[in-house]
Amino acid sequence: MDNAAGEIPAVDVRGLTRCFDTGSGLRKRGRTLVAIDGIDLRVDQGEVHGLLGPNGAGKTTLCKILSTVLLPTAGTVRVLGHDVRTDTAAVRAAIGIVFGGERGLYGRLTARQNIEYWGSLYGLRRAAARERATELLARVGLADRADERVEGFSRGMKQRVHLARGLVAEPRVLLLDEPTTGMDPVASRDFRVLIEQLRNERRTVLITTHDMVEAEQVCDRVSFINGGRILATEPPSVLGDWITRFERVDVAGLTEPLCATLAGQPGVGDVSRLPDGRARFETTETGAAARLVTELVSHGVTNLAISRPSLEEVYVHLFGTNGMAVRR
Amino acid sequence: MIENLRTALAGARFELRVLPRSPGDLMALVTAPVTTIVFLAITQHAGRHDLATYAVLGPALMALWSMALMVCGEMIDAERAGGTFEALVATPARPLPLLAGRIVVVVTVSLLSFAESWLVAALVFSIVVPVPHPGLFVAALLATVLAMAGWASIMASVFVLARSARIFQNSLSFPFYVLGGVMLPVSQLPDWLRPVTRLVFLSWSSDLLRDSLNSVGVRYAVPRIGLVLGFAVVGLLIGRVLLNAVLNRSRTAGTLAYA
Repeated sequence: MDNAAGEIPAVDVRGLTRCFDTGSGLRKRGRTLVAIDGIDLRVDQGEVHGLLGPNGAGKTTLCKILSTVLLPTAGTVRVLGHDVRTDTAAVRAAIGIVFGGERGLYGRLTARQNIEYWGSLYGLRRAAARERATELLARVGLADRADERVEGFSRGMKQRVHLARGLVAEPRVLLLDEPTTGMDPVASRDFRVLIEQLRNERRTVLITTHDMVEAEQVCDRVSFINGGRILATEPPSVLGDWITRFERVDVAGLTEPLCATLAGQPGVGDVSRLPDGRARFETTETGAAARLVTELVSHGVTNLAISRPSLEEVYVHLFGTNGMAVRR
Repeated sequence: MIENLRTALAGARFELRVLPRSPGDLMALVTAPVTTIVFLAITQHAGRHDLATYAVLGPALMALWSMALMVCGEMIDAERAGGTFEALVATPARPLPLLAGRIVVVVTVSLLSFAESWLVAALVFSIVVPVPHPGLFVAALLATVLAMAGWASIMASVFVLARSARIFQNSLSFPFYVLGGVMLPVSQLPDWLRPVTRLVFLSWSSDLLRDSLNSVGVRYAVPRIGLVLGFAVVGLLIGRVLLNAVLNRSRTAGTLAYA
């Protein structure tokens, strides 16, 4: 279905299911693993959409299906109106994919040669591919290292080459599978700038991550995925709310009576003891951490630390205790 | 058609860049001169100067087959192991022309072994092997490169489709040296084996190359070249079917990449 502006969606997923047979050998008859379980997802053109979930949630499987390298078991998946099962050529011409990680590049080639090669596979002529490689490597901050072999690059630098590779064909839809893994903070900031540029160019970006802060900063909408299902799709502002809502306060040298008193305060959820003896208070509402700290200081307790919740903790709070289990 | 040609050229350029940086893949070019020395030393010591042609041609053909088997046969699997195969499949480029472009470069580079063998014979043993039919020699080499490319694309797919086939990969060398008439003409083999050799394109290639080094006239040269080219076409067609089978099966099973 088109959106209000009459545009076809960049990504239109309906009732998508993908199962894997875990058996081995010629006659695979092992257990069936449901990696994606009947999900619906719509991403409009020009949108930066985050897919947030833990390992094994189904994020990468969805990216692979969108990029035509994996067939759906059931359901329909369209990219800019093209079916990934039957219109593979049209889908492939429209997308760029960044799988990321240490692998996926030709280590014996330089960064420039890698990008030129991938450009040629998208039909770029030699001169155009060379020009594009120069431009993209400058854009991802590798202009000075463009003629070095990729095998000598750090993980973060390889990740930048992956990004450049994904952009080589100027795709209308860019699929980024955990693109900032291994990047240092400076590179991550550069990445956010890059996403902003892509947004301004009205490219559609689907980005998978398990970094809530990253998702909050770069996405227009975020879908929470786990166990092969999309649990919710929200604006990124809710992430900021959840991050402050589910903060952790770790306190050293806390007596049991005071601990019990503070545990009963409004907005304080679970209280547990860490292996080093510190007490951990998990809050469940915005402002509870600040109130707790004030109370602790008033009792002379100053050896404390506030930290942000992990994605796991947020999932446990929001979607239940089994939220992060990696299924077998 | 033009798109396929451009894809093949992209594959060829890629291989030209990668191959010189992959010393392991060029090992056959190191062993070819050594094998030539061994073969020539034996024939010369035995006083069989008439076998010098075989001793020079054999190691070059062995290098040709060896690089096709080991380097080209591993191409798809190496992409999977390197994590690049999924991204390759996700591009609009057709895989077969890309693979063919790369294979042609590898096989062409393996032709250096011919120069090596001839040089070793001349420099170490002062034996100059003449080429009385240079046109036929070059035509036979070109046809052999194309046929080798076609059949290498089959091997590349088979080694992915049937993992157990790779167990036999290393042992595929010597049977083909015999059936392909690499070490000695197939006419020297037992009668019952000869029909099998005629199904191996290399046997036609090696006979042609050997004949081109013989000063007597060569019979049916053009039809025999045509036959080798026919093997090339058949190889490419089977390779295309198998490669599509690899892609379809991998996209269905989710095995385009190793975990």
